[in-house]
Amino acid sequence: MRLADRLLAVDRRIIYLLVGIGTLIPLLFPIGLPVTITPPVRSAFEKIESLPPGSVVVVSFDYGPSTAPENDPQADAVLRHCFARKIRVVGMALYSLGGLSVAVEEMNKVAAEFPLEYGVDYVNLGYKDGAQAALRRMNENLHELFPRDAFGRPVSELPLMQDVRSLREVDLVVSLATGIIGEWWINLVNAQFGTPVIVGSTAIGTPKYYAYLKARQAEGLLGGLKGASEYERMLSDRYPVVAEIYRSPTLYTATQGMDIQTIVHLVIIALVVLGNVLYFVSRFRPASGDRHA
Amino acid sequence: MRSQLPLILTFVAGVIPVIALFSPHPVMVRIASRADRWLVIMYAFAILLGVVSVVQSNTKKIARRDRGWPYAIVLLAGLTVMGGFGILANFGIFGGITTVAGRPTPFQWCYSNVFLPLQATMFSLLAFYMASASFRAFRARNLAAGLLMISAIIVMFGRIPVGEAVPFVPMITEWIMDNPNAAAQRGIIIGAALGAASMSLRVILGIERSHLGLGKGE
Repeated sequence: MRLADRLLAVDRRIIYLLVGIGTLIPLLFPIGLPVTITPPVRSAFEKIESLPPGSVVVVSFDYGPSTAPENDPQADAVLRHCFARKIRVVGMALYSLGGLSVAVEEMNKVAAEFPLEYGVDYVNLGYKDGAQAALRRMNENLHELFPRDAFGRPVSELPLMQDVRSLREVDLVVSLATGIIGEWWINLVNAQFGTPVIVGSTAIGTPKYYAYLKARQAEGLLGGLKGASEYERMLSDRYPVVAEIYRSPTLYTATQGMDIQTIVHLVIIALVVLGNVLYFVSRFRPASGDRHA
Repeated sequence: MRSQLPLILTFVAGVIPVIALFSPHPVMVRIASRADRWLVIMYAFAILLGVVSVVQSNTKKIARRDRGWPYAIVLLAGLTVMGGFGILANFGIFGGITTVAGRPTPFQWCYSNVFLPLQATMFSLLAFYMASASFRAFRARNLAAGLLMISAIIVMFGRIPVGEAVPFVPMITEWIMDNPNAAAQRGIIIGAALGAASMSLRVILGIERSHLGLGKGE
């Protein structure tokens, strides 16, 4: 067997090892490469920046643990931005795993960094089943859909929710979404009721949202870990108090994650190029008869 | 009657939101609003139906000792433990679903220490499989595959800080995402929407009856 064929038939465990090493090295020795801001993330940031203090933003935790490494930093960055600007936040989830776990943990963690009061500055309504039907109801009556918050308290007793009866009183929706849920918010809430929507998607789901972004049905887009790291950078540049939080050595940030993503992307690009070079070498090699000629 | 009633119900339920969207008459809006409320309740019942189906199929699998039956035991045990803690938590037993005095409740403990790492591990494995698959299967066998591969490499390279430092790469990456990608996505979205609309129409009009377990002539 020729060298090209031997390399093409390499044990997949060697490839796994390369990816594993590519993940481990930046974890042990952080590189701290700077990211460049892209227009979709900048427009998302500027949209929240344009909201006056006291505005109401719905942050929908439409993801679970599987995509948390990408969506968690997005959620944290958006929450920090809102809280730093004294924007009130209504948390909820249309994805079952987002409501009782992700939303509770992320909101509690970020809220503890600011002098905030639950029920006044932010609330967590928890998970609601019902998909598109639930979204349609939200435009009419949020209290009917969420009679109690994630901790079992009557929603009508929360001061913030006395100002927010439906999505009509909401200035912006940020859906941190895995799969199709971000599209529900765009198609139903933005297209039918006119509420501005920003989507924080996983990297694999990002391409489809460009169609909505170009049609101005989405105000902004945070695509995967890269989008979150760009948002963190803008936030740190604009708000020193948030920059201080991001300097904490115990905090996992998207910017740290980008080091790993950089090395793993380079490994995969190298593998694709190598695979194709070997493919063409083995395809265009002279036939065995020619070699003896 | 067994086949007519579901068809009538499907027609009425399907037509209400369509009329309500185009006719803002208060009576129609009220009916549509009520239908939405019912739909939310029906979704909750669908979860129950899903649980019953999972229990039935897995108990059968265990009884017949089908291939992989021990996994069915693990699945049912997980469903019982997590579901049990979750349901009991709603009645205030075991202290709710999150934390009590800073300590995780049994539901939260299981979630954080069992479910979360398992799901994170499953998703993380994708990176390894994708790397292996891209080495073995991502080949420029023809012009279309070659263009796809070049675009993929540019976008992957342009989405990392090293690539962003190379002149023109970020600009080309955004151009690919903004133009060829957005155009293709738009086509897919519109195509899927048209397909969904035509299928919905078939269901509403009773032409498509497979969801009721009925053939065309029944």
